[in-house]
Amino acid sequence: MRIQVIRSGGFAGIERRAVLDTAGRPDAFRLHTLARDVLAGDQGGPPQGVPDGFRYEIAVDGRTVHCADPWLTEEQRELVQLVLKEGA
Amino acid sequence: MEQTPVFCTIVPPHVLDKVARNEDRALAEPARRTLERDAAERTRRRLTTVIGALPVPGAEPSDRPRRTISDAEHRTDLPGRAVRGEGDPALADATVNRAYDGLGATFELYLTAYGRHSIDDSGLPLDATVHYDRDYNNAFWNGEQMVFGDGDGEIFLDFTLPLDVIGHELTHGVTQYTANLDYFGQSGALNESMSDVFGSLIKQYALGQTADEADWLIGAGLLAPRVTGVALRSMKAPGTAYDDDVLGKDPQPGHMDAYVRTSRDNGGVHINSGIPNRAFHLLATALGGNAWERAGLVWYDVLTGGALPPRATFAEFAQATVAAAAGRFGEGEEHAAVVKAWSEVGIATALGGTDVPRQSPAPEGARPPAQG
Repeated sequence: MRIQVIRSGGFAGIERRAVLDTAGRPDAFRLHTLARDVLAGDQGGPPQGVPDGFRYEIAVDGRTVHCADPWLTEEQRELVQLVLKEGA
Repeated sequence: MEQTPVFCTIVPPHVLDKVARNEDRALAEPARRTLERDAAERTRRRLTTVIGALPVPGAEPSDRPRRTISDAEHRTDLPGRAVRGEGDPALADATVNRAYDGLGATFELYLTAYGRHSIDDSGLPLDATVHYDRDYNNAFWNGEQMVFGDGDGEIFLDFTLPLDVIGHELTHGVTQYTANLDYFGQSGALNESMSDVFGSLIKQYALGQTADEADWLIGAGLLAPRVTGVALRSMKAPGTAYDDDVLGKDPQPGHMDAYVRTSRDNGGVHINSGIPNRAFHLLATALGGNAWERAGLVWYDVLTGGALPPRATFAEFAQATVAAAAGRFGEGEEHAAVVKAWSEVGIATALGGTDVPRQSPAPEGARPPAQG
C-alpha cells in the first residue's frame, strides 16, 4: 500500500510532502488499519480549516481524502505523523 | 445520554447557519448545536463569526486585557489546563510568560493606536494555549483562541518567541470580527497580510521603532540555527526571508507580475500576501515616522470600516485604502503615497475610473456602520 501525505498552509506556508510504501514494513498492519479508517472517514472535499492551520491531503493507493487542523481524528493524526516523519 | 443532533450533516452549513439564527430557540438551539459539532467542527469559525461576534451584554469595555494562558501539555485538546490568568505573577515557564506578555503588547497597540478594546472592540477575553502537541511546527487561530506549538527544534523553535507571531494570530481574531475576509485566494491573502501588517506594527510599537528602523520581518528568531534564513517572511523584500536545503526558498512575490496561482494553502494565502505586505511597507517608509500612526491608521480604517466585501480582491482593498487615506487626511501626502505604493506592486487604483466603492470621510467616531 502506497500512502502519500501533502501538508500545506500553516503559519509558515511551507509545503511538506512524503510518501511511503507499506510493503515489508514491520508496522504495515498498523498503517493499513489507519489508512482504511482515514479513507472511511472521508468528509468529501477539503474542510474549511482555520487561519494558519495545516491542511492535509492523504492519498492511499490513488484515493485522496482531505483534513485540517485542529480537527484531525486520532487516526488521521497518527497516520500523518508516521508518513511525514518516515516517508521520503 | 448523548443527544442526537436533530440536523444531520446532509443539511448544508449555510442552511444551519440561518436556522441557528432563528428567533425560535427550539429551532435555533439544535441547529446551533449541530453546527458546532458538525463535520468535525469545521464550521465553528463560520458560526463564531456569525453568532459569536455579538458584544457581551452589559460588559463595559475595559482598558485592561483579560488574558488566560493554558497549557496543552503536549496534547491536542483545547484549551488545555489554565495556568496563568490576568494579573497572576510570572511562572517558571518562559513560554507561558511570553504568550502572556505578547497578548498584552497586542492589546496595548490596538487600544492606544486605534482605540480598540480587544479583538471584538468589546473587551473579549484573550485566550491562548501553549505547548500544543509535540514538536508542533505551527501556530494558528481556531476562531476562538490562539494556539502555539513548541516547534521541533530542528527547523522551528518555540512559536511564542517572535512577538509579531503572537500579534499575527490575534489579528486573525480582529479580522474575523471586522472585515471577515474569506480565507481563500486574494481575500485570504489580504487576511494573511492584515495579520502580518499588524503583527509587525505590534513589534515596532513595543520596540519603539520607526518605519526606517524596523526589520519588517515576520517570524525573525523562529528558525532553528541550522536553517539558512532570517525569518519566514519579509514585508520589505518578499521572497528573500529564507533559502534553505530543507525549507526550500521563500516563495513570496512582491509584485502582481509574479502572483502565484495554486490550489494549495487555500489558494496561496501565505504566498501572495507578499504583495499587499510590500505595498504597506512602501507606504510606511514613504511617510516615515511610526508606521502604526498614519499608514497603520489607513489600513485599520479599511479593515474595520465595514465597507470592504468579505471576498475583496487586492484591487478593491487598494481602492479602499486610497479612499480611506483621503477620508482621514485629505488628498495630500498620505493619499498620494498610498496610490504610489500600490502602483509599485502593480496594482492600479484607477482614479476617476469605474464605480470604485468610496468610503465616506471618517472623522473620529463617524465610521460607516459595521457589517452584520
